[in-house]
Amino acid sequence: MAGDGIWPWLFIAPLVAGISVFYFWPVLQTAFYSLTDWGVFGGWTFAGFANYVTLFADPALYLSLGNTLLYTAIVLLGIPIAVYLASLLNLPGLRFAGLYRVLFFLPYVAMPTAVAMVWRVIFNGDFGLLNHALAIVGIDGPYWISTPGAATVAVAIVGLWSSLGFSMIVLAAGLKNIPPEMYEAAELDGATRWRQFRSITVPLLTPSIFFVTIITVISSFQLFDLLYAILGSSNPVLPKSMSLVYFFYREGFVNNDKGYAAAIAMVIFLIIGIVTAIQFRLQKRWVQGD
Amino acid sequence: MSPSFPTPARRGAAVLAGAVGLALALSGCSGGSGGAAGGSGEYAAPESDLSAKITYGVWDQNQVPAIEENIAAFNEEYPDIDVTVNVTPFAEYWTKLQTQASSDTLPDLFWMNGPNIGLYASNGQIEPITGAVDAGDLDLGNYPEALVDLYNIDDVQYGVPKDFDTIGIWANKALFEQAGVPLPEGDWTWQEFQDTAAQISSALSAEGVYGGAGGMDGQTTYYNTIFQAGGTVIDGDASGYASPEAAEGIQFWTDLIASGGSPSIQQLTDTTGDQWFTSGKLAMYWGGSWFRSAITDTDLAANVTVLPLPSGEEQATVIHGVSNVVSAASKNKQAAQALQVFLASEEAQQQQGDAGAVIPAFTGTQSAFTESLPDANLQVFLDSVEYAKPLPVSKNSAAWNAEEAELLPQAFAGERPVAEVTEELAEKMDAALAEE
Amino acid sequence: MTDRTTFVRTRTVDSVPAPVLGRGAPSTTARTARTRRGRRGGSHVVAHLVLGVGGLLMAFPFVWQIIMSLSTNTEVQSVTPVFWPAELQWDNYARVFDRLPFLSQLQTSVTITVIRTVAQILLCTLAGYAFARMRFRGRGLLLALVLSILMVPSQVYLLSQYQLVQGFGLLDSLGGLVLPGLFSAFGTFLMRTAFLAMPAELEEAARLDGANPFQIFWKVMLPLAMPSISVLAITTVLWSWNELLWPLVVTTFSEKMPLSAGLATLIGDRTTDYPVVMAASLLAMAPVLILFIVLQRRVIDGLASSGLK
Repeated sequence: MAGDGIWPWLFIAPLVAGISVFYFWPVLQTAFYSLTDWGVFGGWTFAGFANYVTLFADPALYLSLGNTLLYTAIVLLGIPIAVYLASLLNLPGLRFAGLYRVLFFLPYVAMPTAVAMVWRVIFNGDFGLLNHALAIVGIDGPYWISTPGAATVAVAIVGLWSSLGFSMIVLAAGLKNIPPEMYEAAELDGATRWRQFRSITVPLLTPSIFFVTIITVISSFQLFDLLYAILGSSNPVLPKSMSLVYFFYREGFVNNDKGYAAAIAMVIFLIIGIVTAIQFRLQKRWVQGD
Repeated sequence: MSPSFPTPARRGAAVLAGAVGLALALSGCSGGSGGAAGGSGEYAAPESDLSAKITYGVWDQNQVPAIEENIAAFNEEYPDIDVTVNVTPFAEYWTKLQTQASSDTLPDLFWMNGPNIGLYASNGQIEPITGAVDAGDLDLGNYPEALVDLYNIDDVQYGVPKDFDTIGIWANKALFEQAGVPLPEGDWTWQEFQDTAAQISSALSAEGVYGGAGGMDGQTTYYNTIFQAGGTVIDGDASGYASPEAAEGIQFWTDLIASGGSPSIQQLTDTTGDQWFTSGKLAMYWGGSWFRSAITDTDLAANVTVLPLPSGEEQATVIHGVSNVVSAASKNKQAAQALQVFLASEEAQQQQGDAGAVIPAFTGTQSAFTESLPDANLQVFLDSVEYAKPLPVSKNSAAWNAEEAELLPQAFAGERPVAEVTEELAEKMDAALAEE
Repeated sequence: MTDRTTFVRTRTVDSVPAPVLGRGAPSTTARTARTRRGRRGGSHVVAHLVLGVGGLLMAFPFVWQIIMSLSTNTEVQSVTPVFWPAELQWDNYARVFDRLPFLSQLQTSVTITVIRTVAQILLCTLAGYAFARMRFRGRGLLLALVLSILMVPSQVYLLSQYQLVQGFGLLDSLGGLVLPGLFSAFGTFLMRTAFLAMPAELEEAARLDGANPFQIFWKVMLPLAMPSISVLAITTVLWSWNELLWPLVVTTFSEKMPLSAGLATLIGDRTTDYPVVMAASLLAMAPVLILFIVLQRRVIDGLASSGLK
């Protein structure tokens, strides 16, 4: 297949050079150190696959993987919601569209540590708003942030809340690429709005939906700050609610077992890589025009 | 200290780098000093015209005004030593310090705490203060003994405390009155504490008020009771949890929760002890002297008084304090040591005390602290230094702190017998200690 | 030039009178493009209901944050929660300026954010375009490698990047602060997605006009990608604005720190003055929020109504 000669290389060179130095190189170093017993302040001895052998026998790996998957699944529920909301916002002639956009975007701008404080108040088991609201409809809410499982759900609710704004602006940009003439034609054919949503909006938006899905999965697998901020560092359910990256952080920066942490990082890398590769495979089935 | 990266790594790294065409990256980056070279502790007070630029790493923004006063006084003596204060929040402080230590860029002088001193000292990152002590510029006798010991690793002294905190009981007098329970006076026993807490809880249950509160922070709760029972948390190179005394110290909290004298651990996770207290829903809060800053200037201040911790087999409280340490890799070691010595002096410590953010460590400079809430009997915190035990730490405290956090809630909640939990904890802690 | 003809063409389409057969919608004033659209699809009651309720739910924690920023620390930490302070503590906002060198930190934040955003837009659109629309050996592999760096926990990069910046002699400098953040795999992926969705005919036409690949990119394709570029701008600004660990680790002077790092120093290890933290974070997010309001109206809406889609 004939290429475009030197041009593509000129286009990608600055980015690829920067990424290589500042990102590939650290990843390669990490890959190397995952095979060593790496001292806290540097220095190492070769350890072969010892870190990986220990890791695959460590229940914490499977526990944190399970928590991460649960979290990711809940945050992914935000994507259909975002698609629906973005299409509503795109309705021609909709008044206050700008205001709505700002409202949905607010959580994405808010500073995580400040917002975590607010959410802790909302989730508080004895005095929280959420449990007050649930009590009204006769549900006895759990101690959200101090019950294993419920804690993951609580963090995921915040994750969904804060990522919705991002998904919506990406999808809004995608919607601008759909020619209004298509809706007009459908209108002429007497298609209902729901029908238009299903047969025009969603199919033509699939590249953006695909993009948002990939990014959401990747960033959900990176769950760390939010978990830490909402549960708090001395929370007794933290060991049962930890995410993969929290597991990595705990081993590398708290327990100072850096070689082991490097191995965890490589496993996280592998897991996300596989999940992403599967998504790219599957996209051929549902993404249009790619 | 020059980077002493072993050669195979360089080669291995170079091969990997070459694979993606990254030779460029090799120039600056295969750093890391693994050895425990350390410093000799060599010291000589500099001439007053020594010119240097040094950085001073700290984590508490609240203390910066006092630090700046200290530096101004220091500059009267050494006008040409330029000190930059670098504040990093506590949560990120240790990550940053580790990164800097791995790259030989530690601040010349920086704050160190008990849980981390072992790691940094034993890896040769910190300059001992032996020279300054031998020269007579630092007198270890001026500071609380338990804290001086905290910064002594393998018989080498790395620092003296700049401040300290001890644990006492913050009591809400209004709630005692409301419950019709007399305010305890003077020394008291475990049983008296338990009874008082249970009485207040039951008298004020309609208001949702509790008498006492446990928690997952060992420093303010269960370490104290373990010491009071005559036990230890860490004993030489081994865990102290296997002893019956340690189990008693844990049992204290299990009993308190079971009697209704304290909210459950789950409740305390959602709403921390200090929150219960400042909300007027807790009569007795086991808290550090640092809690004073959360009380002053609030409506609560008039109702607050401090009680000594109750005695078990013996009287005890946990003491901890921060120390200023000099980086072994500092390029301006003489200047950094001069500042270290100055900050430990009576003059600088008096300034710290008067600024009121902390209790200074130098004996006799603490009066400003007690006067900051004159009716609250803050003297308790100073008096308890006499029987204080240092915060239990090891070279890798975090590893067994994590085991405590995982196992002890089961004991506090009464899910498993206390002795069974502490035995399992001792085993796991011993395993963690063996890896150090 | 081709881009101008495109522009004119779509604009013409836009100004063509609307089809008359709109169903149901109460037609108010005719003839403007706005009402043409308004006519399609009937009333917006359901949309307003969903967006209104959803929007309030989304904004609620944020509104509460505003209330907390005007409360006392005791009120903020109080159980049961205090919904409205006994007295509004406007003083909390003044205290932010006592506690932080707010303006110089704001300046640092603006500087590093502008540099990174411009650099990312430039580098990511170039690379994204090449990955989407050019053919070259190893394209799939290189793209996969670029994407792969998203899959590693970001803390992994900390030590290596620190030592690289140290090696370049850029510790504690503006260069060191911005450098790793100039390159974005996320942005490349975003722009690739945007360029993939564009019709091929425009490029063909320009190529026949004798334009070289860079001219095609710059004059034809880049303007079309404006909606996605504004998304990239917003996400980069936000990311850079809120970034915490890196600036804390590479800077040692509080005046040189960006606001995000400065804010974090307000959080103590034992006690924290939460209302001041809330006030400071609201002050810090205000510029970004204003930027978003401007961007979403000027760029997203503006482009749509000009027909440049």
